[in-house]
Amino acid sequence: MIDRRGKERVRETIGYRKYFGDEKRTVLFYLEPANVKDTAFLTYDYRDPSVDDDQWLYLPALRKVRRISASDRGDYFLGTDFTYEDIKKEGKIEPSDFHFKTLQEELIGDAKTLLVEATPQSDAIARELGYGKTQFWVDTVSWVIIKAEYWDIKGKHLKTLKANDIRQVDGIWTRHGLTIDNHKTGHKTIFTFSEVDYRTDVKDSVFTKRALSKGR
Amino acid sequence: MNKVILVIALLTRLSTPAYADLFDLEFSGTWEQELAIASNEGEAQKFESLVEPEWNFNFDNGLELTAIGRLRLDLIGDLGPDQSRPDNYSSINGPWAQSAHGEVSLREFYLDAEWFGSFWRIGKQQVVWGQADGLKVLDVINPQSFREFILDDFDDSRIPLWMLNVEVPVGEDDTLQFLWLPDTTYHELAEFGTPYQITSPRLIPHAPEGVPVNLSIPDKPDSFLADSDFGLRYSSFRGGWDITVNYLYHYADFPVLYQHLGTGGISIQPEYERSHLIGGTLSNAFGDFTLRAEVGYSTDTFHIARDLTGRGISNNPEFASVLGLDWQGLSDTFVSVQWFQSYLFDYDPSTVRDRTENTLSFLVQRYFTSETWKLELLVLQSLNDHDGLIRPKLTYSMLSNLDIWVSADIFHGNEDGLFGQFDHADRVSAGFRLGF
Repeated sequence: MIDRRGKERVRETIGYRKYFGDEKRTVLFYLEPANVKDTAFLTYDYRDPSVDDDQWLYLPALRKVRRISASDRGDYFLGTDFTYEDIKKEGKIEPSDFHFKTLQEELIGDAKTLLVEATPQSDAIARELGYGKTQFWVDTVSWVIIKAEYWDIKGKHLKTLKANDIRQVDGIWTRHGLTIDNHKTGHKTIFTFSEVDYRTDVKDSVFTKRALSKGR
Repeated sequence: MNKVILVIALLTRLSTPAYADLFDLEFSGTWEQELAIASNEGEAQKFESLVEPEWNFNFDNGLELTAIGRLRLDLIGDLGPDQSRPDNYSSINGPWAQSAHGEVSLREFYLDAEWFGSFWRIGKQQVVWGQADGLKVLDVINPQSFREFILDDFDDSRIPLWMLNVEVPVGEDDTLQFLWLPDTTYHELAEFGTPYQITSPRLIPHAPEGVPVNLSIPDKPDSFLADSDFGLRYSSFRGGWDITVNYLYHYADFPVLYQHLGTGGISIQPEYERSHLIGGTLSNAFGDFTLRAEVGYSTDTFHIARDLTGRGISNNPEFASVLGLDWQGLSDTFVSVQWFQSYLFDYDPSTVRDRTENTLSFLVQRYFTSETWKLELLVLQSLNDHDGLIRPKLTYSMLSNLDIWVSADIFHGNEDGLFGQFDHADRVSAGFRLGF
């Protein structure tokens, strides 16, 4: 995380994701630095978009797993420039939130892309997500979003997302680098993913409040 | 002190590559430095360095050993204790070395293991029950140091205990927790003459003027097995609700101050008494709101009485509850309101405290500039004694691993009340916390 004056704050986390039938569970443990170490975040994401997710946050200073509201999908995630919704969808878009329009084909570097515009299906959804409009460039080989622009609900240019180091892991196209610039605040967040692994089985017990409080 | 040197030497040797085949070693820690100025005198109350190194040994067979040390140095030393080993500690607990100016201790030391499909944590540790923040109903597993009343972070003031902690998964989302606590360590109270010594007549007996008072050494339970505490908690997740049912058979951590009027004045004999605590918690999120509830029924609670019948103590069953509502409807903002209530059954009118007591808490936290700045206000208010505590705090996340803050702790109200008794002990503080 880099502020407008160039001051950096670095966080290292480890995350796990697993499907339990239609339900997706994600857990994130903070590893470094020591003053945020053991902070952890657990989400139960339900397939039905009308059902709020269940979310818990473990704060080591309180030694308590705190139930938190999941309704504000547009809130920024723990000081980053990604919203809770951005984190949850992992670069995907919830179809029921937007109307989509393909604008044109474009070349970004060597990549052939489709430029798609998405507008929220209602004012309520726009307010919830914090986006009045988004445009994204989809690579026609990997079908992942390699760039996106976001506008706020007043139509002001809000953020720019760029993905890099896109390669296959276990046969799945994976973005290993994400940079998002917040034009409103001058703040920037860079995500770097390493040791991505889609094959290793993760124990169900990792996705529990017990694991959240014990860091594993 | 020899023990300290031995352990540090051992941990240093273990971290050499020769042992790398046996385990991975992670080392981290925090250094917290805080200056507190007492507002009534304008003099420093503490200038404290709190260093807590942590070692995590991850063994190939899945075992994990955690050791957390504590080194506290205070140049001022007004908060005590002067005793190198306060009476509240059991023979297996307590600091290795302690004075008003410092402390060296093994803060936590436990082994994590997964055996027989269950999760075991064995050793010196903290276990926190309950859903309430700041106000305790079920969070009574570990005792607490009251050197700074409740102003210190609970994580720092809670006294870790030696215990066995087993969590058994039941089905997909349920867990049964079993606790066995042979460690008979109880609350550490502020010493007489320090800023946060308890004076409220609700908590300590007051003798008529001119009558001498003799305080005896506490009569502490000391049997490893017979005086153990036991706890059970069943946790479940049903229809969006987080639910727990809790039971604890324990010694209350405050000594009961039995009184006896003799020819030489009033003798006070502190003793520890047992109680059964049965309770539960609930929480769920509804849109922008999160509802939290916590209830507890104690079969025996002990309260100061105005006369010496029953040795100056009234023993009552108590029902206590906390109802909390959190709101996150505004970006970067967290608002929480809690209503704490305590009701005594079989109430004796000579009891100093009221039959029903109500306390409210209000917390608002607001983050600015991508959570770099955090402004916080916590208010605790007793509706019975009309006293309270106001705690504003501003925190700046200066670097990845460095937070700095300024804060104030402002007591007000009736000097006989839980908070008002410290009306003279307001303070302003500044400090930093560095992770390494």
